[in-house]
Amino acid sequence: MSTTTETEIPLRQRVAENPQPALIWAAIGAVLIGVELGAILQVVGVLAGVVVNLLPGDPGAAAVQSLQAAVDGIPTLVSRETIANQGYWDGSKYVGTFLGVSPAMAWAVRVVVVYAYAFAVLGWLWNGYKTFRRHYRRVDWTPRDDVVNRFRGHTWGKFGLIITITFVIMAVFAPALGPTTMEKNILQPYDYETSYWNEDTQNVETVLVGEANLGSGSQGAGDENVAPMTYDDYGRFHPFGTATNGKDLFTQLVFGARVSLTIAVVSMGIAGIIGLSLAMITAYYKGLADFAAVLVSDSIQALPVIMVLILMLVVFRGTWVKELYDGAVLIILIFSIVYWPFIWRSIRGPAFQVSEQDWIDAAKSFGQTPSQVMRKHMAPYVFSYMLIYASLSLGGIIISVAGLSYLGLGITAPTPEWGRLIADGQQYVASPSWHISLLPGLLITLVVTGLNAFGDGIRDAIDPQADTGSETEAAAGGGGA
Amino acid sequence: MSRWQYFLRRVLMSIPVVIFGTTITFALIRLGPLDPVSAILGTQYNPQAAEQIRSNLGLNQPLWSQYFDFMYDLFTFQLGQSWVIAPGTTAYELIEVYAPRTIWLGFWSVVIALFVGIPLGFYAGLNPNTPSDYVASFGGIVWRAMPNFWLAIMLVTALSQLGAWTNGLFTWQTWIIKTNVVTPPALGFFQSPIERFMADPGGWFNSLIRATKQIAPAALVLGSASMGNEMRIGRTAVLETINSNYVETARAKGVSGRSLVWKHIFRNALIPLVPIITGEAFLLLGGSVFVETVFAINGLGWLFFNAAINGDLPLIGTLMYIFILILVGTNILQDFLYTVIDPRVGYDG
Repeated sequence: MSTTTETEIPLRQRVAENPQPALIWAAIGAVLIGVELGAILQVVGVLAGVVVNLLPGDPGAAAVQSLQAAVDGIPTLVSRETIANQGYWDGSKYVGTFLGVSPAMAWAVRVVVVYAYAFAVLGWLWNGYKTFRRHYRRVDWTPRDDVVNRFRGHTWGKFGLIITITFVIMAVFAPALGPTTMEKNILQPYDYETSYWNEDTQNVETVLVGEANLGSGSQGAGDENVAPMTYDDYGRFHPFGTATNGKDLFTQLVFGARVSLTIAVVSMGIAGIIGLSLAMITAYYKGLADFAAVLVSDSIQALPVIMVLILMLVVFRGTWVKELYDGAVLIILIFSIVYWPFIWRSIRGPAFQVSEQDWIDAAKSFGQTPSQVMRKHMAPYVFSYMLIYASLSLGGIIISVAGLSYLGLGITAPTPEWGRLIADGQQYVASPSWHISLLPGLLITLVVTGLNAFGDGIRDAIDPQADTGSETEAAAGGGGA
Repeated sequence: MSRWQYFLRRVLMSIPVVIFGTTITFALIRLGPLDPVSAILGTQYNPQAAEQIRSNLGLNQPLWSQYFDFMYDLFTFQLGQSWVIAPGTTAYELIEVYAPRTIWLGFWSVVIALFVGIPLGFYAGLNPNTPSDYVASFGGIVWRAMPNFWLAIMLVTALSQLGAWTNGLFTWQTWIIKTNVVTPPALGFFQSPIERFMADPGGWFNSLIRATKQIAPAALVLGSASMGNEMRIGRTAVLETINSNYVETARAKGVSGRSLVWKHIFRNALIPLVPIITGEAFLLLGGSVFVETVFAINGLGWLFFNAAINGDLPLIGTLMYIFILILVGTNILQDFLYTVIDPRVGYDG
């Protein structure tokens, strides 16, 4: 129920009165989106595929597949086809690579283009926000401006934001970043061929990718190793070397980033929804509802988190849920169940404070329903506190997922996962194949540091008077994994 | 409400928490799709034997009666027997064998975390925005972000390779006393320590040093997460206390620097550290699974992990119950410490 004041003009009209900044912004946006239109449609197709896959009986799978096939044909800027790196040496020059440069160079160019494009899009979005704020917003100032400004002055938080964005881009553009694809190199290596220059016969020969993998594994000493930033015997470039089974490590790592970040964000999202709804209910009705929630959440919090995760993963090991996305769905569900009490606990206090405010009484006496009061008058004030806690917990979840996969309980093959790669390379750390274990661990350390720094920035921006936050400190650790 | 009434209420609240937590465990292991009988029989599964075992173990009885038996046994500390890992061995015997190693590991991780983390944090807080503060703070943050299991693997490698890297100048294995890098600590010397010490003081000390050296790398890794936490909280707490009015007043009154730091800053800065220190119990229990796996220490975490993957239901239930008791006990300890340290507890409800 919004009352229109005299000064309020619809956004459309405000833009029409001063169209220039909006038009410039829209034109840049059209270019940026245009060069990637095919990829965006592909994502839509993939998402449709995910929905179909999760539904029982896979209805409409054929329609989705034809859609995906149709979309594949649209050329895009940031793609393996435009900047190809998988070529071969024919004795005098490279064949099939971007502009005929070496595969390593072509790959590097593509990585740079991907990041440049992604940062351009983010810059465009930020610019859109600033344009809106300067030219079209009805008011000069909102409390949210202060939050944004505080964050812009928070160097440590910005450092975290940049690291976080780097990893998010890695996850989003995973198919374009790898020197090879999941399909060809990791899932079905025996269905594809690769050409290479055979030194002995002085000829270009073809070999199945699977067989080439067998000959280029990293298992310690001497010729059984493909180090980072080198080519293997089949002329394929490996930025991070190969795994023990000869599959490209970098490709697995970028897809591992996708898996880890998705699990962390989705499970925190579900736990956040549960925690927020419950906080609204307990703060609104108080009394018995609150006592019951205290009891349940205290009991769940009194359980050792890692042990419960291990136990639940073992209990549901043989079920169909575990089959979905190699265990990712199960992990998300388990993490949501285990983590909501922590979220609820962290916002219970603010929710209570809000429920004592006069405007809640006013809303009630206006005859608004409980759910309206909770959604419109209470939740927005508590949401930011939840954001603080959730952003500080993401790193812990990433560590836990890696730890569980390291124990062989989390994400199972063939889906790549950082913790499992560490376990694979464990016995070769002291050998020339040190990269298999070391690099995933470094990536985890980097992304968790970045997420924690970002969380610190969010906390200081939203709530400058936040206390030392002992609970959130514990959340950032990952329960000891 | 007085402080002690508040404390008593917290203690009473922990009883339903233990009951409910144990119930969750029961629900997980008995209502879930895990079949204990096929776990016991393994590959020699046949319906007849399965039925036999089922009736022997009382799995035919209605679920509620199994539940009450389960709860009654645990709460009267009849902890039952292992079914799969060590059939016929009582949980008591298993815990007696495995627990000392975990306690030894936990003890040293707490010591390392407390005596490195808190002083570093306080030092950084007393010298804010200096290069050493930045190094300490940044180091603590990165240290905390490293996964324990990965850190453990890297440490094992580094220690085993030290000899090769330094051309044999320094090897961890032969340093002070000869040990392996990856090994369970030999804790035999703790059995009847006084008599052994009397009989052979030198040998006893030797064993003590050996066991400490054996556990040191694992304890360093396990203590790392809480060490980082304690450092950060310690730094913020000191910073906040320094800038508070009562410290200003004390300084104006001419309180000496030493007394100012120890009496006015240190004690107050400890208050926010209490939950971090007691919260270590969670990190230690959870982390013990990983660290014990990497360092081949067969302690409680290792025992729980193996009980879980082998579907050893009574052992899982018992260990979970004990872990819950430990954690609830630490929570009560935390409330007790609050009650003692902070006179404000209980006044604002």
